Amino acid sequence: MLSAAIAKRLVTGLCQGAWRPAVTGGLVSSRSYRGEAPEDTRGDLIEIPLPPWEEKPGEPTDIKRRRLLYESRKRGMLENCILLSLFAKRYLNTMSESQLLQYDRLINEPSNDWDIYYWATEAQPTPEVYQGEVMDMLKEFTKNRDQEQRLDAPNLEYLDKESQ
Amino acid sequence: MASVRAASRLLSKRVLSKTTPVPAAAVQGSRNFHFSIYGKKKSASVSDNISTQYPVVDHEFDAVVVGAGGAGLRAAFGLSEAGFNTACITKLFPTRSHTVAAQGGINAALGNMEGDDWRWHFYDTVKGSDWLGDQDAIHYMTEQAPAAVVELENFGMPFSRTEDGKIYQRAFGGQSLKYGKGGQAHRCCCVADRTGHSLLHTLYGRSLRYDTSYFVEYFALDLLMEDGECKGVIALCMEDGSIHRFRAKNTVIATGGYGRTYFSCTSAHTSTGDGNAMVTRAGLPCQDLEFVQFHPTGIYGAGCLITEGCRGEGGILINSEGERFMERYAPNAKDLASRDVVSRSMTIEIREGRGVGPEKDHVYLQLHHLPPQQLAARLPGISETAMIFAGVDVTKEPIPVLPTVHYNMGGVPTNYKGQVITHTKGEDKVVPGLYACGEAACASVHGANRLGANSLLDLVVFGRACALTIAEENKPGETLSPLKPSAGEESVANLDKLRFANGSMRTSEIRLNMQKTMQAHAAVFRTGSVLKEGCDKMDAIYQTMEELKTFDRGIVWNTDLVETLELQNLMLNAVQTIHSAEQRKESRGAHAREDFKDRVDEYDYSKPLQGQEAKPYDEHWRKHTMSYVDPKTGKVTLEYRPVIDHSLDEQDCAHVPPAIRSY
Repeated sequence: MLSAAIAKRLVTGLCQGAWRPAVTGGLVSSRSYRGEAPEDTRGDLIEIPLPPWEEKPGEPTDIKRRRLLYESRKRGMLENCILLSLFAKRYLNTMSESQLLQYDRLINEPSNDWDIYYWATEAQPTPEVYQGEVMDMLKEFTKNRDQEQRLDAPNLEYLDKESQ
Repeated sequence: MASVRAASRLLSKRVLSKTTPVPAAAVQGSRNFHFSIYGKKKSASVSDNISTQYPVVDHEFDAVVVGAGGAGLRAAFGLSEAGFNTACITKLFPTRSHTVAAQGGINAALGNMEGDDWRWHFYDTVKGSDWLGDQDAIHYMTEQAPAAVVELENFGMPFSRTEDGKIYQRAFGGQSLKYGKGGQAHRCCCVADRTGHSLLHTLYGRSLRYDTSYFVEYFALDLLMEDGECKGVIALCMEDGSIHRFRAKNTVIATGGYGRTYFSCTSAHTSTGDGNAMVTRAGLPCQDLEFVQFHPTGIYGAGCLITEGCRGEGGILINSEGERFMERYAPNAKDLASRDVVSRSMTIEIREGRGVGPEKDHVYLQLHHLPPQQLAARLPGISETAMIFAGVDVTKEPIPVLPTVHYNMGGVPTNYKGQVITHTKGEDKVVPGLYACGEAACASVHGANRLGANSLLDLVVFGRACALTIAEENKPGETLSPLKPSAGEESVANLDKLRFANGSMRTSEIRLNMQKTMQAHAAVFRTGSVLKEGCDKMDAIYQTMEELKTFDRGIVWNTDLVETLELQNLMLNAVQTIHSAEQRKESRGAHAREDFKDRVDEYDYSKPLQGQEAKPYDEHWRKHTMSYVDPKTGKVTLEYRPVIDHSLDEQDCAHVPPAIRSY
């Protein structure tokens, strides 16, 4: 009985939830340790929707950049702190308006910070709503083709105009 | 004045009507949800009592929770459900709190995989704490655990199930059956692999239905204390640089740990001990800060965590000789021994010259002997982390790992009800109006060492306990006692000083000095001379805070300023940690000293007690450290408080007398 209700919700979720990542068939959670635990039913995500992300209208671009810098540096786990603050250092100040909007949505809408990490590392497919220029930039950046050492998040000194 | 206009513009923007319907696109099914994230029942008012340069907004609530991680959300939810007008202040969006990183699960003696009894869980936790845990709090937590998990299930957390539909439970380090004599227990409940996220998502979502007011991306600066009573919190709104004073009869601190005092830690950059620092600046003590848990397997360099689940699946730790050295240190549990035992063993191997790598300063975690299908099915995410941060292919090579700072057992001292306490004249005394829960608090259920999967349990049980205690002793809508109009002006002055700081040392420089000093002098293995040197260095680094230089003079989304405030908080935590460690002349749990290798209890528990004389309180170390700092000088004062050895009900669950701890 419970599973029928969940299946129904899954279907309505698929049709309506434009802001929710697409559910692929046989969803495998590529997390660190699954053990013998069965599939994730995602019951909480389906039954308890959170307020949808909204773009901040009328926010000046320079303020948006400052906000996104803070939001890139302060994440839920270390992996994203390192990855996104390095990404922000490289790209944030030169992103166009539309790129900033894409980035804003990417780092602020998903409720599970790990999802952003899986999409960036391509361990899981990126949902359509987040695909785009910025996601491609992030995926490429994550590959680390130059094999630079990524042992920690950078400090903020690169923003200090006086020292340049 | 421009600032007042700005504040009133800000006010009108924020107050959403409770009946505003949500746009159709976001409606799930046919239900309407009312989201009033910034809704307030009483109107906030603007004042200029403490600053004419920063717009100050005063709010009144029944309860204020600082922090929106697992513990904070559970407290906020519990309070809102009980009808209290609750504010939750957080510097991060709630589902981005560090709880989201939690991989393990929640321990509870549900008995779904084999017969179980919460008293066995109680025994495991007391033993795990190396008899520094307060047994009344541990009794409370382990007894409440099954009910807490079932409650979460009812809120909507989709725990993983066995084929029979019962909650699936897995093994975790340090959990046994029949008081340690019945083999490995399976009592860790999980939501696939995202227990932490599911906890946050469920609690945040549910709390919104009760109209909790969230103040997201507000940085809490200080507690508002008057006459030894906590009357609220003052915070900075990052979005517009306004100052907000939240007056409330009850304040709950749930700000998490302070891993970022160390150079190598598994914590996000948000773990900066803000609550501990606020409590210290209020002249109250912090407890047991020297007990820092080192997770055995953090990636060498980056610090990213490799979950204990790897070892649960058969991964083994090897030294330079290719030996599975854990067989020597923990013959029964081997690689699944308690974390401090594993960390200590790894460190001994390195110190004795059997480390790997060019500098022989770490060991290897080997997974490539496991069948590739098992690796892919049960440990898929490990390959990514190992490749991205360590450049290693786990099917071919072992992962370089090192014990990395992972958890802070110490924090704000509380009793088992979640009330913050001080210890004066030999007695515990409650601080009126102040509560703490989660990693920020020290109840103390983890004592000298935390068992895996007990932390999420700690969050949920004590978050709930704070809400229950407040509901028991207060009624919603009570009038607030008066507060001095100038309350909080020092916090604003400090903020202003940091914003315009123009000394000679940058925030990042001082922070790195602190982190490297702590890593070199107060890590897994500690010894007197190294600790003393570290204390002197830390004291000197504390003084360099006077030379701070910030570069961002703005007030809106000023990350430089926030990171500097966080540095101030980290400093207070760091000096207390290292001074407490230097003073504690024994080895207990996660605090291991090369020069004092044994536990110093009131009796020598390795021998029969008959005929032994108990050491006086001043001469043994089975006691909690209570540390104070004078923020102006950085001077640390240490006092001690006895461990609570009786359970809540000796008939129902006898306390566990101390014994030698071996696995």
